[in-house]
Amino acid sequence: MKKNFIIVLLGIGLIIYASSIIASRNTIYYYTTSETLNIELENEERIKLGGFVVEGTIAKDGGFTNFIITDGNKDIEIIFDGFVPELFQENMGVILDGVFDNDTFLADDMLVKHDNEYVSSDGETYNVENYSE
Amino acid sequence: MMLFGPLVVWLLITIFGPYDVTQGVSSKLLYVHVPTVWIAYLAYTLTFLYSALYLFSKKSKYDSIALANAKSGVVFTIVTLLSGSYWGKQTWGTWWVWGDARLNLTAILLLVYLGYIASRQFNKDLGKTARNSSFIGIFGVIQIPILHFSVIWWRSVHQQASILSQETVASGDAPMSSDILITLLLSVLLVTLVHTFLTKRFRISNDILWDNYLNPKSRAKI
Repeated sequence: MKKNFIIVLLGIGLIIYASSIIASRNTIYYYTTSETLNIELENEERIKLGGFVVEGTIAKDGGFTNFIITDGNKDIEIIFDGFVPELFQENMGVILDGVFDNDTFLADDMLVKHDNEYVSSDGETYNVENYSE
Repeated sequence: MMLFGPLVVWLLITIFGPYDVTQGVSSKLLYVHVPTVWIAYLAYTLTFLYSALYLFSKKSKYDSIALANAKSGVVFTIVTLLSGSYWGKQTWGTWWVWGDARLNLTAILLLVYLGYIASRQFNKDLGKTARNSSFIGIFGVIQIPILHFSVIWWRSVHQQASILSQETVASGDAPMSSDILITLLLSVLLVTLVHTFLTKRFRISNDILWDNYLNPKSRAKI
């Protein structure tokens, strides 16, 4: 019984230790637009870039969709060539996969990141600031 | 009967409930996705408690309850993954995001508890099996806090918690219209009932196994 108890404690300790190591590495799935100022990218290196679509910047150009995303601090121009999810619209959070060409970001894959707000058709709105940033 | 009552009411309020105007009708999956994962957490926590109780007391009924909760938890985890995946297709534009911590950890959670159930078949001696499985039941629970905080620790696609977040608890105001919130809380209540009756059902077969193991003579007579 005592031996088992020690094994349980060791196992719990191991899992907590492993997860805190992983958590402290601050693993991120995408960069914000401001963070791209501070990262060194190799030529043609693919990254994931996240931000909110700026109002009034969406334009269709042939097969491409051009728009600007921002994190409130830094704007980046996007040229998107790929499948546009149905929910893509102004002010929506998006995560793009692609490469930088000078200051323009060429992307071919998009995820729409919806926040945790749920507003029904009765028109009630909430002013809650808990976006992930 | 007791099981299907809450199940039917839950389906009905999901079908006729209000939805988020931006995300569209698929956001009704909120009433499936959120309650099922919460109750899966509850089920696995109970598995942890009863596994520990079994190890200390060696009473067969504790093991029976632990197993029943794990089975129910697995059912709800599968429902959560399926509903979340379909919602992801409608909203994010993809069924699954491989880089997302919460998605991957939920899949691992399912595998661990499938392993817990599978470990029951490793040995014919139910006493030994129950003891070994109890360790999985105890270790497994550590995943729940990691899973809950995964959206804060790792920046990814899955949204932050709407209800069980610091902001909501501190301000007492969830980022939801009140009709959506009430429907959600009602569905949590109904899924809790479904879970209760589902575990009762699972317990019956577990108890029979234990009875056969502990009283082989009475079985021989029949």
